[in-house]
Amino acid sequence: MGSSKHKKKDKKKRHHSSDSSDGDLSSKHRKRRHPSSDLSDVDVSNKHKKHKKHHKKKEKPKDKHAKYHSSDDDVIFVPPPPKISRNEVRTPPPPSLTPPPPPSISSSSDSLSIDETNKIRAKLGLKPLQMDNKETTKSRDDGLEVIAGDEGEFVHKPAVSITEKNKSDKIKARIAEKKEKRMIENKILNVKKLADSDSEEDAVSWVKKTKNIQEEMEKAKKKAQELEEMDNVFGVGDLIEESTKSEMKNFYSSKHLKGLEVQHSMDEFVEGKEVILTLQDKDVLAEDADVLVNVNMVDNELYKQNIDRRKQRLNYSGYDELEDMDIDKPSIVLGKYDEEIEGLKKKSFKLGVDEYKIKRDTIKEKLKKNMNQETLNTTQLKLASDYYNDTEMSVKFKKVKKKKLRVNPLKADKLERSLRLANNNAKENDDLDDIDDILHDNPTDIYSMKMENEDDDMGLQLALKKARKLKQLEKIERKCDLADTLVKTEYNDNALGAIVLNSTAEFCRTLGDIPTYGKAGNREEEEDESLMDYDKNNVKQEHAVNSDESNDGWREVEMEKKLIDLKTIDSKPILEPEPDLGKGVAGALRLAMSKGYIEKEENARPSASRFAHLQAKNYSIEDKTFLAEDDKLSRRDRYSGPTVEFREKDSYKPNIKLDYIDDDGHLLSEKEAFRYLSHKFHGKGPGKNKIEKRIKKAEQEALMKQMSSTDTPLGTLNMLQSKQKQTQSPYIVLSGTKSTHQNHGGSISKTKIG
Amino acid sequence: MIEITCNDRLGKKVRVKCNPEDTIGDLKKLIAAQTGTKWEKIILKKWYTIFKDHIRLGDYEIHDGMNIELYYQ
Repeated sequence: MGSSKHKKKDKKKRHHSSDSSDGDLSSKHRKRRHPSSDLSDVDVSNKHKKHKKHHKKKEKPKDKHAKYHSSDDDVIFVPPPPKISRNEVRTPPPPSLTPPPPPSISSSSDSLSIDETNKIRAKLGLKPLQMDNKETTKSRDDGLEVIAGDEGEFVHKPAVSITEKNKSDKIKARIAEKKEKRMIENKILNVKKLADSDSEEDAVSWVKKTKNIQEEMEKAKKKAQELEEMDNVFGVGDLIEESTKSEMKNFYSSKHLKGLEVQHSMDEFVEGKEVILTLQDKDVLAEDADVLVNVNMVDNELYKQNIDRRKQRLNYSGYDELEDMDIDKPSIVLGKYDEEIEGLKKKSFKLGVDEYKIKRDTIKEKLKKNMNQETLNTTQLKLASDYYNDTEMSVKFKKVKKKKLRVNPLKADKLERSLRLANNNAKENDDLDDIDDILHDNPTDIYSMKMENEDDDMGLQLALKKARKLKQLEKIERKCDLADTLVKTEYNDNALGAIVLNSTAEFCRTLGDIPTYGKAGNREEEEDESLMDYDKNNVKQEHAVNSDESNDGWREVEMEKKLIDLKTIDSKPILEPEPDLGKGVAGALRLAMSKGYIEKEENARPSASRFAHLQAKNYSIEDKTFLAEDDKLSRRDRYSGPTVEFREKDSYKPNIKLDYIDDDGHLLSEKEAFRYLSHKFHGKGPGKNKIEKRIKKAEQEALMKQMSSTDTPLGTLNMLQSKQKQTQSPYIVLSGTKSTHQNHGGSISKTKIG
Repeated sequence: MIEITCNDRLGKKVRVKCNPEDTIGDLKKLIAAQTGTKWEKIILKKWYTIFKDHIRLGDYEIHDGMNIELYYQ
C-alpha cells in the first residue's frame, strides 16, 4: 500500500530531478512547491526559519570545520516529513498548474547533507555524525565528550555499560589484591631474621664485647676470692658448708623412693629413657601403700589384655611349662581361670630392690640342693652275653599248680532214677509243684553234668540226647494233661468253697455269659465245644451247688438270671390268649387282627417297596452338588467321621406323590410341570401361538372328556335305537338310490331326520 | 561517518549518512526521515540476511558506500 503511494510521489520527484542539476535544491523550486502542499508544510517552513536562525549564529565556527557542507548553507531544506505524502495523495496538484519539474535532487539517490542528518539525528535522540578529524568533540576533565553541534555545545554522557563496569570492578579488585600482597610482603621483608643480629655489628665490636664479658667474669672471681678469704678469716665458711650438706641430705633423691612399688614389669622400662610415674589413684580411706604408675603404660597394658582376651588362647598346652621354665611357679592346669578367681595379678617391682638378684639366689640354692640327686652320668655300658651267668641261673621259676577239676562221673543208674521219677510223677498227678520242680530241675542237672564231663565218651552223650528228646515229648503231653488236671482240681476246690481265678476259668465263664445262651442253636454249639470236658451235668451240678452255698455273689446272679430266662421261654404258650371282646372296640379290633380279618396297618399302608418297579433303575436323583462333593473329598465326612447306617429307620420307605398345579388350577403332567417350572425359572413364557395351541388342546381334551363314550356327538346311535323301536325291527334300511328298490320298509331318509 | 545507499528498486533510492556505531534501528529511522515511510515498516536486507534492529552497523560490517536493499513490510 505504502509502496504504491510512494511510487506516485517518486514519479513526481523524478520529473523534478530529471531537469535539475545534482546536489543543489533551488529555493525557488521549493517555494513553488510548498504552496502546492498543504498545512503541514507551514510547520516545515517554520522549522526552516528556526534553523536559519541557528545557522546564522554559528556560521563562523561551522565554516571553519565543515568541509563537507555544500557551498550554499542557507538554502538547505529538510525534506518533507512523511505526513506530506498522504496529504499529497489526498490533494494531488493539478497537472496543468505544475510547471515542468525543475532540476532539484541528485540523479540517483536522495541524500542529505551532514547538518541535515545531524538535525534529524538530534531529533531522533542519536549521537551526531562522527567526523573523521573529530574536531567537534572535545574531551572534558571528567572524561565526557563535549560535542559542538549546530544547537550549541553539549556533553554526551553515555549510559553506564554494565559490562564495562564489571570489567573495571574486576580490575580494581585485582589491583587492590596485588597492593595488599605487596604490603604484606614488605612487612615480611622487614621482619628480622634469626641470623640477623639485633644491632648491626662487625667482628671488631663482637670481639670487644666478648672481651668485656671475660673481664667482668675475672673481676667477679676475684671478688669472690676476696670474700672467701674474708669468710675464712671469720670462720663463716664451715657454717655454710654444713648448711649445704644438710640441704643436700634433704634433697629429694632416689633414696627416698626406695621401697616404693611400681606397678609395671621391669621390662617395660628401657634404659636411657625417662618415664614419668605418678601415684596411683586410691580411696581416701584405703591403707594400701602408695603405688607408682605411668598412665601411658597402664593404657598399654589394658590394650594388651584386651587383645589377649580376643585371641582366646588355648586353655592348656603342655608346652607352656617348658616355655616358662619358671621353677618357682607350680604347674597350673586351669591357668585361664586364675584371673577370674584371684583377680588380676599385676607385675610390679620395688624401687631400689634388686629382684633379679633375689631370684638368682633362690635358683642357686635350689640347684645346690638338687646337686646330689641328679647326675649326668648314667649306668655304665656292658657287653651283652649270650649266656646266663650264675646269678641269673640261680633264679627259679615258680611252678604253676594245675588245678584239679572235680569230676562227678555220670552214673547210669542215677540218671535213670531221675527220669523214672519224673515219669512217675507225671502219671501220678499228686503234686503239681513236685512235677514242676522235676521239670525244671532235670534239664539243668543234665546240662550241668554235661558241662562237667566234657571228656566222657560219645556213647553216653547219645544216650542223654535220646533221653532229652523223650522228655520233651513227654513235656508236651504232660502240659495238656496238666491243664485237665488243673480244671478238675479247680472245680474240686470250688466245691470246697475256695475261689480260683485263672485264665481258662475266666474264658469258660465268659462263654457261659453269651446273652443268647439257651436259645435255639446256641445250645448245640456249646455241646460241640467240649474242649474242657464240660458236662451238662457238671454245670447243672454246679448251679445246684452255687444256689445252695451262695458263696460267690456275681456268679450266682448271672446263673440265676439264665435259669429264669430258660423258665420263661419254657412256660410261654404256643398260642396267644384270645383278647377280650368285652373291652370295647379296641378288643374287638385286636381280635380281628389276630384272626386275620384285618390286616395290620403297616401292611395296609402303601409302602414304597410296592412301587419298587417304578423306581429308576440306572440312576437315582440326588442332589448333584452332594455327589460332586463326595467325588472330591467328601467334605461332609471331614467333621462327622465315617457315616453309620441309620439302623432304626431301615424299613422306612415313605410314599411321596408330588403334584404340580398351574395357575388355573389344572393338574399338570410331568412334562407340563417341567415346562411350567422352566418357564418360571427362565422368566420367559411361551409364545402367543404356543399358548393358543395349548389352550385349544386343553379345550379339546375337555370336550373329549365331556363326550359320551356310547354315542357319536350327533347322537346317531340314539336315533338309530329310537328308529328301531319305532319300526320294531332289528335293523334299519339306509335309504339310497340303489337300495330303495331293494329294501323298502326300514329306510330312513336324511331329510326326515334333519 | 559513513554513507550508505539504500535502494528499494521501485524508484526509491536514498543515501544516508550515519555512524558505524549506529544500530540498524537508528539507520531505519534516518531512512524513514528521508523517504517518509514509517521506520517500523522498513526491512533492510543484504542478499538473504535481514538486518536486525538492535545490532550495530559496524557489527554487520556495513561500510561506507555500501548498498543495502530496502524492503517494506
